[in-house]
Amino acid sequence: MNLWQQLDKLDRRWVFLLVWIAAVIPLIVPATFKISISPEGKSLFEAVDRLPDSSTVILTFDIWPNALAETEPMERAALHHLFRKNMYVITVANIPLGGPSVAERVTRELAAQYGKTYGVDYVNLGYKPGYVSVLRGMGTSIEGIFPTDNSGTPLSELPLMQRVKNYEQVDFIFVVADNATVDYWVSIVNAQFRKPVGAGVTAVMAPKQFAYVGSGQLVGLLGGMKGAAEYEKLVGKSGLATTGMGMQSLVHFLLIALIVVGNVGYIVTRQVARTRERKVKA
Amino acid sequence: MSGWEIFQIWLMAFLTLAIFSFLYRDNPLFKFVEHMYAGLSTGYYLGLYYDTVIKQRLWMPLSEQGEWWLIVPGLLGFLMFARLSTRYSWLARLGLAFVMGTTSGVYLLSELHGNVLGQMVGTMSPQRVQGMVNWWLTAIVVVGLITTLIYFYFSKEHRGVLGGTARVGIWFIMVSFGAHFGYTVMGRVSLLIGRVYFLWNDWIGTMR
Repeated sequence: MNLWQQLDKLDRRWVFLLVWIAAVIPLIVPATFKISISPEGKSLFEAVDRLPDSSTVILTFDIWPNALAETEPMERAALHHLFRKNMYVITVANIPLGGPSVAERVTRELAAQYGKTYGVDYVNLGYKPGYVSVLRGMGTSIEGIFPTDNSGTPLSELPLMQRVKNYEQVDFIFVVADNATVDYWVSIVNAQFRKPVGAGVTAVMAPKQFAYVGSGQLVGLLGGMKGAAEYEKLVGKSGLATTGMGMQSLVHFLLIALIVVGNVGYIVTRQVARTRERKVKA
Repeated sequence: MSGWEIFQIWLMAFLTLAIFSFLYRDNPLFKFVEHMYAGLSTGYYLGLYYDTVIKQRLWMPLSEQGEWWLIVPGLLGFLMFARLSTRYSWLARLGLAFVMGTTSGVYLLSELHGNVLGQMVGTMSPQRVQGMVNWWLTAIVVVGLITTLIYFYFSKEHRGVLGGTARVGIWFIMVSFGAHFGYTVMGRVSLLIGRVYFLWNDWIGTMR
């Protein structure tokens, strides 16, 4: 049995182990990689940056806990940007598991850093089921959909929500999502209420969302951990995404190498088999 | 870091490693954690839906604000449970029909406004890069769109010019699949990175 045949029979658990090692190495030996900014990431940052200070922004936490590695850095970078510009931030979750609790944890942590007061500078609306009716209903009355905030305080008691009644008083929607809700922020809130929407999505979702950027329905897009790292760089706050890009790059190098080796092995073994067939026939 | 926080981190690390143990082979530990996740999620959903829908949107407006009309949607929702009875399961269709009707209405409008019209305008307009019209990109979009659509035209056999054009369409589709695959790999690696980062920084951090 030659080397290629041995590789062909290699137990895939060795590949898993190699990927694990490749992911851990950059944690032991930190390596920095240059993060280039994509036009979509830049245009999202610029759209937020162009908003006048003290604008009102809805930031969504439409995220499941399993994709936190990609979405939480986006949320953090977005909040740094928004709080730094003294924007009023309304957070909302259209996903029950993960979104509401992450919104609570992350917004409170960053609000404390920037000295923001709950109810005055930011509000966490929490979660309501049925995102299509939630997105439509908020266009008429946010209070009609969310009678209370995430911790049960009536919206009428929160100074920020006394001013913001529906999308009319909102200047920008910053969607962070790992699922189909982003399509509805585009098709309902952007298309029917004419509100500018920008999005940060998981890498799996990104290829589809680029079509919305091309058509101008999204002002910009962050795709996966790379997109999060871009926003961290633009905001000037390195976080998990920036660190993760070192690991991401090394694992990608390994995967590319494995794909090349696999394909070369496939071609060589096929060639050997054909030669053998020819010899048998002769 | 308090003892409670350390306990939480160790529990999370145990659950993470139990899930990863599937990579070695299917085992009872993985099965236990998998079932526990399903059970916990269901319990959480039940509590959440009771609190945010039944209590906040139905019971409180009904009992405190006298919005009696909510009895109708409440009853329609309650009828959904008729599925549990073989004799009265047909009653569930009443609520389901209402849900189907309203959903179709809402989706029709949003799909038309957001996807069909928006994407048609986006595809037919000249493509821009940083605000400037890029004719090369526009030509690629036009060729890609037409050839891909021709590939999905099955009313005539793909031979001759039609076959050649459809073959170009296949290349565009393959490039699109490649981009999707690349992004999917990046996404899955990111998930691994998230857990590895947690294990290395938080879990091993408690031992340092």
